[in-house]
Amino acid sequence: MEIWGPPSVARHEGSRHFQAYTCDIVVKAMSFLRSGGLDEAKAILVPHTCDALQGMGSVLGDFLKPDQRVLTLYLPRARRSSDHEFLRRELGRLATTLVEVSGHEPSADDWAEAFEAEDAADAALAELYQRRGRLAVSDRDFYTIVRSREYLTAEQFCEQVAALPKGEAARRGVGLMISGIVAEPELFDQIEDMGAHVAGDDLACGFRRVYSPSTQADPLERAANRLMTSPADPTCGTPIQVRVDTLQTRMRALGARGLLIYDPKFCEPELFDVPLLRKHLNALGFPVLHVEFEMGDSLPHQTLSRIEAFVETLS
Amino acid sequence: MTMSEALPHYVESNRLEHFVNYEILGKTALRVQRWRDQWKFARRRPRPDSPLNPPLRSVVHMKEIMSRHYLEGRYAAGVRKVAWVTSGAPTEPLQALGYFLVYPENHAALCGVRRKAQSIAEEAEQAGWSRDICSYARTDIGAMISGNTPAGRLPRPDMLVCCTNICQTVLHWYRVLADYFECPLVLIDTPFLYQEAHEHEIAYVKRQIEDMIAVAEEIAGRSLDEKHFEDVMTNARRGAELWLEVLNRSQHHPAPMTAFDGFIHMGPIVDMRGEAVTVAYYERLLAELDERIERGIGAIKQERYRVLWDNLPIWFKIGEFSNWLAERGVNVVASTYTFAWGELAPMIDPTRPLDSMARVYLHPILNRSTGHKLDAMKRIVDEFELDGVILHSDRSCKPYSLGQIDQRDRLVKTLGVPALLLEADHNDPRDYSDEQGSNRLEAFVEMMEARA
Repeated sequence: MEIWGPPSVARHEGSRHFQAYTCDIVVKAMSFLRSGGLDEAKAILVPHTCDALQGMGSVLGDFLKPDQRVLTLYLPRARRSSDHEFLRRELGRLATTLVEVSGHEPSADDWAEAFEAEDAADAALAELYQRRGRLAVSDRDFYTIVRSREYLTAEQFCEQVAALPKGEAARRGVGLMISGIVAEPELFDQIEDMGAHVAGDDLACGFRRVYSPSTQADPLERAANRLMTSPADPTCGTPIQVRVDTLQTRMRALGARGLLIYDPKFCEPELFDVPLLRKHLNALGFPVLHVEFEMGDSLPHQTLSRIEAFVETLS
Repeated sequence: MTMSEALPHYVESNRLEHFVNYEILGKTALRVQRWRDQWKFARRRPRPDSPLNPPLRSVVHMKEIMSRHYLEGRYAAGVRKVAWVTSGAPTEPLQALGYFLVYPENHAALCGVRRKAQSIAEEAEQAGWSRDICSYARTDIGAMISGNTPAGRLPRPDMLVCCTNICQTVLHWYRVLADYFECPLVLIDTPFLYQEAHEHEIAYVKRQIEDMIAVAEEIAGRSLDEKHFEDVMTNARRGAELWLEVLNRSQHHPAPMTAFDGFIHMGPIVDMRGEAVTVAYYERLLAELDERIERGIGAIKQERYRVLWDNLPIWFKIGEFSNWLAERGVNVVASTYTFAWGELAPMIDPTRPLDSMARVYLHPILNRSTGHKLDAMKRIVDEFELDGVILHSDRSCKPYSLGQIDQRDRLVKTLGVPALLLEADHNDPRDYSDEQGSNRLEAFVEMMEARA
């Protein structure tokens, strides 16, 4: 199960451990955990992608000590050979701990089977994105399936993708690219109501998770390679110019006329890039709108008005 | 748009300018200024209305050292290779290669102390940077795009070195700098230590330091001289040892120095560790502290309560807090922050520079778990015989601040000392409320009084 900001969880429990300036993802995940939402889990894995998740992993392990084992994974911030080697060994450390937690030592066949399933799901997700322009599904439905990759097994995800309607339909209205961490369903409905559509995304829980298949024999090498070849991502230290190049190439290919940057409050990895993305993309002819939001809350009228005005300018 | 068009205030000097303005005129003027300050110090009469004893005499030397450093910075570009580095970066090889080092965090703190940070940060906010990002970063980005700085002028970097052992913020901040300056950004990524360091983490950091040296050598056009490198490492270790001794002198009652003094006197160990001048400075400061201890002179006149400060200082409030607390007999004698540049001294081994650097730069308190920081605070409370703890909940510094709520609860429960969570920001006055802050500090002092 993956937690990006579970629905209908108040900040209350998490706020007993984290200050008001802590991002919603961390505070709400903590609330979810403390309210019993993860009781079925045997372990909690906190990846290290930012200072807020670092704080969460540390507070969980040092002070709250839940019944579940708290595991951590440090993800390197660059894509050099030293990072690759470190990640392989870090994944090995995690694998050893998981063997302890599960009591199961995977065989070579187990690894191969798992990779086969994950590669199939990765390929299904990549294909889903390739077909997006023709799929006869709303943005809300499309991103519901994309996000199900976070919590369904690989096999279940592939079944979901296979069950999609086969029909094709042209997209209507002006196309937007959306960037950030996560976009909740209401946003897609609102964008559609404004006469626009999401032509593509650069979301941490979306396109940034489209991994390429890798074929190495060593499972840890294969897992490391999969993560190290993922799309451009500020939390992985992708240089800003690379992000700009990637975004403009994809926006042109997908017919997106502008970029909506949709960031949760206090998300430094995303916030730092905003002015330079705006500067460079504006110079390339792409307008940019930046919106900050609090997760789980309804979109404020003012925010919607800004997005609406942005869509109108693009039209 | 080229960098010079975008940032016209980053100009290069030539050797003549450097020689005349820095070596001859600048150094002489600063020396004269120091003599004048010493003369004033010698004639200064104690102020009976002040709760503080006279400041440390060494401060005039520190002022000269730091001013000289910033003055050289004005004329360094084009004369020496320049690296902008994070405060926890492994700089010793760069020093040995002759680089002039700029610490943007230290520069931002300088803006904070001079109460210029808000107006400079607003330049960055006008350009689109969110108020929710670190105020150090906003201050420096604001200075970069506007040229507005109390330091006069900063030299353009030839390379950027960003080490994540203090926070992840610096990675994003330095990516912005790299975009503006179009110069190489070297990343030293230091995995966060939730527990003890693993061998693969140490090996990872060591390899990155080796890679950094290769880049620095290429830019400098020369190879690292091993003997010189060892000398720098020796100075770094000695400087850190002395700094640790300086801080530990406040275990004495009354403490000869406050943590607020420490925040100011840490300048050389942050900006110039590895240099002989830093070693000499802390030898001087230590001797003065020993003299104070021998004569029974405390930093404040009536030391009734001894307190620990956690997290960065509130730079724009240092003077006010120092007086306000001293008036109530509170001496803030230690801080977790200032120890960060001394506590790792025993790990520095000049004979095994790269191995020891890999370990040292993995282990700053900010790269260690919330539980480790709690243990450090408990140890300081015990060793310094403290009556309370002020935890500065710093809106701009998430890695230091997240965990403080549980840390405070455990300090109160296990040690029985009052512990206050004080909401503020290290550089942005808009995030501190005088009224709320004073009320909470008053209540904190009352709790210590009740417990006495």
